[in-house]
Amino acid sequence: MVPETDQERTEHFNRMSLKFSEFYKGKTMMLPKVPINDLGAFSYWYTPGIAAVSTHISKDTESSFELTGRWNSVAILTDGTRVLGLGNVGPEAAMAVMEGKALIFNYLGGVNAVPIPIRTRTKEEFITVARALEPSFGGYNLEDIESPKCFFILEQLQKDLSIPAWHDDQLGTASIILAGLINALRVVGKKIEDARIVLFGSGAANIAAAHLLMAAGFKAGNLIIADSKGILHPEREDMDTLMLNNPWKYQLAMSTNGERRKGPSDGAFKGADVIISAARPGPDTIKPEWIKTMNSDPIIFALANPVPEIWPNVAKEAGAKVIATGRGDFPNQINNSLIFPGVFRGVLDARSRGVNFKIMVKASYEIANFVKDPTADKIVPTMENWELYPQVASAVARATVEEGLARRNNSTEGFYNIAREIIEENRNAYRKLVDGKIIRKLPEMD
Amino acid sequence: MEVKMELGKLEEKDVEKVLELVMRLKKLNQEFDSTFEVNEESREDAIKLLKGIAADRECYFAQVAKSRGKIAGIIVAEFRKRVFYNPPMEARILEIYIMPEFRRSSVGQMLVDSLYEECRKRGIDLVTAEFPSLNIIALNFYKKMGYREIVSVYGKQISKK
Repeated sequence: MVPETDQERTEHFNRMSLKFSEFYKGKTMMLPKVPINDLGAFSYWYTPGIAAVSTHISKDTESSFELTGRWNSVAILTDGTRVLGLGNVGPEAAMAVMEGKALIFNYLGGVNAVPIPIRTRTKEEFITVARALEPSFGGYNLEDIESPKCFFILEQLQKDLSIPAWHDDQLGTASIILAGLINALRVVGKKIEDARIVLFGSGAANIAAAHLLMAAGFKAGNLIIADSKGILHPEREDMDTLMLNNPWKYQLAMSTNGERRKGPSDGAFKGADVIISAARPGPDTIKPEWIKTMNSDPIIFALANPVPEIWPNVAKEAGAKVIATGRGDFPNQINNSLIFPGVFRGVLDARSRGVNFKIMVKASYEIANFVKDPTADKIVPTMENWELYPQVASAVARATVEEGLARRNNSTEGFYNIAREIIEENRNAYRKLVDGKIIRKLPEMD
Repeated sequence: MEVKMELGKLEEKDVEKVLELVMRLKKLNQEFDSTFEVNEESREDAIKLLKGIAADRECYFAQVAKSRGKIAGIIVAEFRKRVFYNPPMEARILEIYIMPEFRRSSVGQMLVDSLYEECRKRGIDLVTAEFPSLNIIALNFYKKMGYREIVSVYGKQISKK
C-alpha cells in the first residue's frame, strides 16, 4: 500500500529502492541476441570469421552502423555533478540513477542504452572522453551535468561528433515544455506569436526552453526570463559575469525582454500569458497574488520537484486556467520520459548524424498533436500511451532526413513501422524474461 | 547591429553615470583575480578622480559614446612622458567599457579610433593599455586590435606582520 502524505510516500519509495537495488544488484544486463548452437558458432561470431567483418568496417567505418550493434546503442554519459536534486554526488553514485534511465530508454524506446558515469573534472576532459567513445555508439544522452558546464559540453559535442548528442535536462525538458505549451495555448485560444511568456528560473532547462521557444516561433521580445537576481535585461549588474561564464544566458539577456522590464522577478508576472517555472521547490515560490496580475486565462507550468512552486489548487484559486507540474499525481505531468525514448528511437533508426532545434520542434508538435482534444486537464499524453513513442520516433527520423542529417532514408510511415517493430520486439523479449522467471519477482517488503 | 553613436568628451555632468560603467569594468576584473577586489566604499574618491580626469584635457583623453542620449561606452587614456625611451610619449588606455547591448557594434573600435585621432594631433605614435593579466576578455580585445605584450607587472601579497 502506498502511503498518503508526500513525506511518507517519499520514504516508502526510498525504502523500496534501496531494498530492490540490493536484491537485483544492477537494473540492466547484456544478453546475446544471436544463436550459439554449439561452440563452433564462435568461429563466425568471433575469430576467425569475424575478421572479415572487421576488415569490411575498417574500409568503410559507416558500415559499423549496419554490421554491429552500434546503430541501436546509446551512451548515457554523466560526470555526476548535478544528480537529481542531490547535487554533486560523484560518478559512482550517479550510476544508480543512470541505470534507471537506461531502463526507461530500453522499456519505452527499445534502445540499448549503456550507463557510463565518468570521473572527469573539467569540461575539456569530459569532451575528450566523449569524443573517444564515439566509435561505439549511435548517440549520446548527457545527463545530470552541472550548469553552465553542460552548455559548453553539449555545444562542443554537437559540433564535433557525427552522432546525435542530447542533454536531456536541457533538450528533453525543453521539448516537453514546448509540447505542453502548444496545447495549453490551444486550450485558452491564444497564438504563439502573441503569447507573452515568463521563464521563471534560469537553470539549464529554462535556458534551453527559451532558445527552443524562439525556434518554434515565439517572439524573443515576448519572452522574459526572471531568476533569483530579478528580471533579466541587458543592463543587469551580472552581465559581464554571464558573458564570461554562461554565454547562452547572456545571449538571452540581449535578445529577450523587448519592453526592457527591470526589477524583482515577481514583476515579470504582470501581463504575462504563461509562466514556465523551473525554480526553487515550493509550495510558496510562486505567490497567488502574482498570478492575479497576469493576463486573462493564465497558464502556469510549476515544474520544480518534488514540490511544485505553487500547489495546483492554489494556482487555480488565483485564476490559473491551465496548470502543469512535474508530478504524476496531478494532471498534465511535464515528463521527459514522454520525449527522449521516441527521439532516440527516431535518430537511431535514421542513423542520424545529429539533432537540432528544428527536429525538436517537430517532436514537440508530434506530442502535442497526439492529444486529440486538449483540455485544461489534458495537454500532454501520459507515459502509458504506447503509440506515442513510435509516432514521435517516426516524426524525428523523418525530420533528420529533411535536415540532411540522416544516413538512412525512409518515409514517415516506413520509419514508424521500423520503430514500432523494434519497440514491440524488445517488449516481447522482456515479457518472456519475466514469464520465464529469468527476471526474478520483486522481493516482499517487510 | 547598426546603432547611431555620438562621441563626445567626458563632461562633469556625466561623471556619475560613467562611474557606473567603470565600476562594471572593475567588477569584471574582480572575477579574474582576487587582488582586484572592488572597494565598494571608494565611490566618492572615484567620482573625484573622474571629475579630475574630465577637467584635465591636457593629460587625459576621456571620450564617451552615447546612443539616443544613453551612455553606451567610455574610454579613458592618459598621455605619459617616456623619459628614457623613444618614442618619447605614449597614450596609455586606463579604462574602456562598452555596455553589453552595444557590444559587437564596433563602439569599442570607434572609441579607440577617436583616441588614435587625438594622438595623431599630438604627434604621439605609441598607444598602450593596462588591464589585469588574467582578464581574458580584455586580452582578446587588444590582441584582436593588434596589441602585443610590452610591459609586465608582477605582484604578490605579503603578510601584514
